[in-house]
Amino acid sequence: MNHLNIFRIRSIAERVLRQIWHDKRVIAFMFVVPSLAMLLFGFSFSGDIRGVRMAIIDQDQTDLTASIIDNLQHDSTFNVTQIVTDAPEPEQLLLKQGYQAVVRFPKKFTSLYYSHFAMGVATSAQGTIDLTLDESDPQIAASVQMGLADAVMNLGEGGPIDIKTRELYGVTVRFIDSFAPAIMGMVVAIVCTILTLLSVVREKVDGTFARIWVSPVRRAEFILGYIAAFGLIALGQSLLVLSIGKVVFSIVINGSIFWAFACVILFAIGNVGLGALLSALAQTESQAILFFPLVILPSVLLSGMMWPLQAIPKLLRPISYLIPLTYSNRLLRAVMVKGLLPWQEPVGFAGILLFVLLTILSATFVLRQSARE
Amino acid sequence: MADVAIETRQIVKAFGKRLAVDHVDMRVSVGEIYGLVGPSGAGKTTLIRMMCGLTSPTSGSARLLAHSIPGEREAVDDRIGYMPQEHAVYRDLSVAENLLFFGQIYGMDRRMIAARTDELLALMQMPDLGKQRADLLSGGEKQRLSLACALIHSPELLLLDEPTIGLDPALRSEFWEHFRTLKQNGRTILLTTHYLEEAGRCDRVGMMRLGRLVAEGTPDELRQRVSADGMSVSMEQVFLELTQASKSRRSDA
Repeated sequence: MNHLNIFRIRSIAERVLRQIWHDKRVIAFMFVVPSLAMLLFGFSFSGDIRGVRMAIIDQDQTDLTASIIDNLQHDSTFNVTQIVTDAPEPEQLLLKQGYQAVVRFPKKFTSLYYSHFAMGVATSAQGTIDLTLDESDPQIAASVQMGLADAVMNLGEGGPIDIKTRELYGVTVRFIDSFAPAIMGMVVAIVCTILTLLSVVREKVDGTFARIWVSPVRRAEFILGYIAAFGLIALGQSLLVLSIGKVVFSIVINGSIFWAFACVILFAIGNVGLGALLSALAQTESQAILFFPLVILPSVLLSGMMWPLQAIPKLLRPISYLIPLTYSNRLLRAVMVKGLLPWQEPVGFAGILLFVLLTILSATFVLRQSARE
Repeated sequence: MADVAIETRQIVKAFGKRLAVDHVDMRVSVGEIYGLVGPSGAGKTTLIRMMCGLTSPTSGSARLLAHSIPGEREAVDDRIGYMPQEHAVYRDLSVAENLLFFGQIYGMDRRMIAARTDELLALMQMPDLGKQRADLLSGGEKQRLSLACALIHSPELLLLDEPTIGLDPALRSEFWEHFRTLKQNGRTILLTTHYLEEAGRCDRVGMMRLGRLVAEGTPDELRQRVSADGMSVSMEQVFLELTQASKSRRSDA
């Protein structure tokens, strides 16, 4: 009869641990990944929205408006960067200067507020604040409205204050509308980076890599071949995400589908470059798999995909700006939700172009090194 | 000089302080089968990789088909066929798809590739396996596919790294028949092997040990160096005698 033998079990466990001990990269990952996961999830989920850029146009300039502005300045949700008595149209401040909300106190705001109880009798007069809002991120929009409502509460004697909200793009953007572009970017980032990484490492392990370098194929042709293949895949995936979004969730697409796909392909190119670049650091497929959480976790948690960048703690925000998906989210949301052309969202567009340039050039360089290992 | 396919002069490859290839002078003539033999770690693969341009020499020079390597490798890359030690085929593609890919990167059109595929599969005695996925092939079949991939563009010069490793004696014999056929068709073959008995099948042999080329010549010449009649000694004995002699000479020096 075959009994379980504790010594054989121990020797198998010992052998497995020895193998891990011999691969220092695995050990590093064993500690880095759980630490990273806990830190990122912990910080990301505990963050409130902070630092929303707000401009204030105070055309009334009274103690009352000063008191509301003071409340807004002391609310960490906002970063009140401009207080002007007169200004161009609020829309211009949003579109051209990157503000996310503009609050305007019109002339006679204060007198209307106090005249509500004229001679001890309630009248229909009331102070009205104009709030013009970039509604493309519904979470930010909601927190602006809540923050402003808080700032005007308990001001003392006076009538009610009406907050008239004007939406910049004239549509009510739901969470799913601004989430769909982020999903497109995330799917492309994960699939293109990971599949390129695995494919190139597999070419190295199987020896086809060496065979290709002895043939007339040039490094640029190799990379471009991968780009063509994954560009097509990215296009297919984006079509799928958009179709499901449209049919199942009735998402709103204000912009051009053509430019959205052009941006997706551009982003896919950068991710193919990133995958090829990472392939230089892995000699086996199992080592390559260890990179997955490093690609996926920060992208999902810190790119502004699940919650706005303003909700990410300041400590982690520099990392957000190093994540390519952050720029893809900005760019795709600008194109799909706001209906802008790619270059009208210069930060996102430049970020993606820089990402493509850096990864493709470095990947071309490291592929030469890998081929000559 | 036109009849020289490969020439190395004092070629060296160092990995840190270790010399994987140690000042090797070697010449392979057009149309011959040249075997680099020696145990694992002798430097055969590193030498062949330098000739392919996959590894740069630390010092010394190499010329392939009258072009300097690695500097002018692009001038010869469609004239050489390389078979690495691994099977080096795409596991998830079929036999025919592998040949199609390698044919295409050498600029062949689909019709040419299809004709050449039929020819090669017949030569490799696997005519019905065109649609079979490579990962479902036996070890020997994968090895034959790997050789077929190196031959798809009919190269003048074949650089084969351990082409018979892991094959049973019958299949090894079959491979040697292919090499003979290729030689008859005017091809030059440089191959590495650690099966010393295979050295006897080459036109000329270079024996390597610890990165050095310790002996070079035709199999008969090498046999005669260790035995007067030359015929009664195996290549294994020849290798052992000559490497021992080289070791003694080095320690005397």
